[in-house]
Amino acid sequence: METIELKSALPNVFLDRGDVESEVWNRDVTFRKGHLYLVEAASGTGKSSLCSYIIGYRHDYQGHILFDGKDISDFGVAQWTDMRQHHLSHLFQELRLFPELTAMENVMIKNKLTGFKNQKDIVQWFDRLGIADKMNSKVDHLSFGQQQRVAMIRALAQPFDFILADEPISHLDEGNSRVMADIMMEEAKRQGAGVIVTSIGKHMTLNYDTVLHL
Amino acid sequence: MTLVWKLLRRHVSVAQLLGFFFANLLGMLIVLLSVQFYFDLKPLILGDDNGAIKGDFVIVSKQVGGISSDNSFDDEEVAEVRSQRFVKSVGMFTASRFKVYGMMGIGGGPSMGTQMFFESVPDKFVDVNSTQWKVTESGDGVPVVPIILPRNYLSLYNFGFAQSQSLPQISEGTVSMMDITLRFRGNGLEEYMRGKVVGFSSRINTILVPDDFLRQCNMRFASGEDTRHSRLILEVSNPADDAIPLFMQEKGYEIDEGKLDAGKMMYFLRLVSGIVMAVGILISALSLYILMLSIFLLVQKNTQKLRNLLLIGYSPVRVSLPYQLLAIGVNVLVLCLALALLFFLREAYMEYVWQLFPTIQDTVMWPSLVLGVALSLIVCLFNAVAIHRKVMNIWNRED
Repeated sequence: METIELKSALPNVFLDRGDVESEVWNRDVTFRKGHLYLVEAASGTGKSSLCSYIIGYRHDYQGHILFDGKDISDFGVAQWTDMRQHHLSHLFQELRLFPELTAMENVMIKNKLTGFKNQKDIVQWFDRLGIADKMNSKVDHLSFGQQQRVAMIRALAQPFDFILADEPISHLDEGNSRVMADIMMEEAKRQGAGVIVTSIGKHMTLNYDTVLHL
Repeated sequence: MTLVWKLLRRHVSVAQLLGFFFANLLGMLIVLLSVQFYFDLKPLILGDDNGAIKGDFVIVSKQVGGISSDNSFDDEEVAEVRSQRFVKSVGMFTASRFKVYGMMGIGGGPSMGTQMFFESVPDKFVDVNSTQWKVTESGDGVPVVPIILPRNYLSLYNFGFAQSQSLPQISEGTVSMMDITLRFRGNGLEEYMRGKVVGFSSRINTILVPDDFLRQCNMRFASGEDTRHSRLILEVSNPADDAIPLFMQEKGYEIDEGKLDAGKMMYFLRLVSGIVMAVGILISALSLYILMLSIFLLVQKNTQKLRNLLLIGYSPVRVSLPYQLLAIGVNVLVLCLALALLFFLREAYMEYVWQLFPTIQDTVMWPSLVLGVALSLIVCLFNAVAIHRKVMNIWNRED
């Protein structure tokens, strides 16, 4: 997948709001593969909605969202499954980890589906992110910051054309944010993928190609 | 799959599964037992008529009064019988209207001969393999006519005639192997054919040949079409119906009560089996309801996990699979156990039946086996579809 386009897209909840001032909603915006984007948002401007639309989780919007020129409202179950396995990775703001599984199992449940990374690479990421000692701990025994790092590793355990990181470092210190950004960018570059980072304040320090205000 | 199962097996209620297991086992066993019982007892009621003539039928004739009175049914009377609500279909007996002479012997040995006659009823009342029930040609080009004999003719010969004349008694099997030469004569023609006994009947008291054949012979060896029919064969919907003897009495027609009794017994056997089976199906249906509720509850409790799996790229088919396999596994276990129990229960009651009726033929278990497998398949399919739909609800955010 080369492009993600928004054509006059607007969440239904904003329909009766006359004063939508945004560089994304109600406009034509194109995200390109290989580029780095920051979407900055204030609370309640539809940041989570944007992510949900792109990942195919919600469809409550007006206008069009196109992947390589194809309207995603026409996508069926098989197409979305293929997208989520091979083209579009999402680091969820709410993480969506499985608390009853260990940190490693949370990553493996994805990696077994895609068969993308080997155990060694994954262990290395755990190591670099400073949570190697937590690999076999259940996720609900980890702090939110540690869980964010597990979720990032899981998001990278798949091939992707775009990675959508929804507030990836909200609970991380400067050092860990840096490592996480490095790992994400290394993997994105290796795959030639586009990166879309969202933030409501604190954001990864990166050389963004484009900054959009939602 | 192991990690997914590790996730999704949470909240699986063993108590609910056991509840379904035993309820479905009971239901399935009752259904299978009713079917097996029906097939096991059927030959007891139908007696030794090896099925040459089909089930619920009644033969109707007019009472013979005096010597020369015409006791045949005219078209109007046939139509009246046909219009009765207990009648499913009516067949007319056709009689041969030419001279038939039959000669019998085994392996070309000395034969004996007799004047005889044929009758026929429509083929649908005859339960002989359709390939057997037609005129074929022997190797030397002579037509071979299939014949059904009344069983009491053979008894008459074996116990009456043969014993008094010091002749050998013959079995049904021997009769079937006999060479029968038939001479047809009439309308200035004479022709020889061969006869082969393909079945015996104790329910129909005449010598039957295929309907088409007899009609053709009547055209050739006798002139013109005779529309009189001395007897009618009726297929009835319920042989226990009181309206049958009432109607017959009113019209002065004769029916064979004894044959009606077997029909009545069959009807009751079918009715009882049907009721028992319905109870079994009801229990099975209720147990299925328990299973569906249990699985829906499970899916409900695991909605968040299922949704997360879908969002990280698992397909609904793959996410449904563990629950579908669980349901199918339980169903297969139920089927196996029900069949095993059926086998042992049948052994137990058949031993008792054999003591009472030593001559009863051995019956088979495949109808209940087929039914059990079919029922299980339906239930499995139903489960699989319901689970997939439930997961699709989560996909579509309709939960």
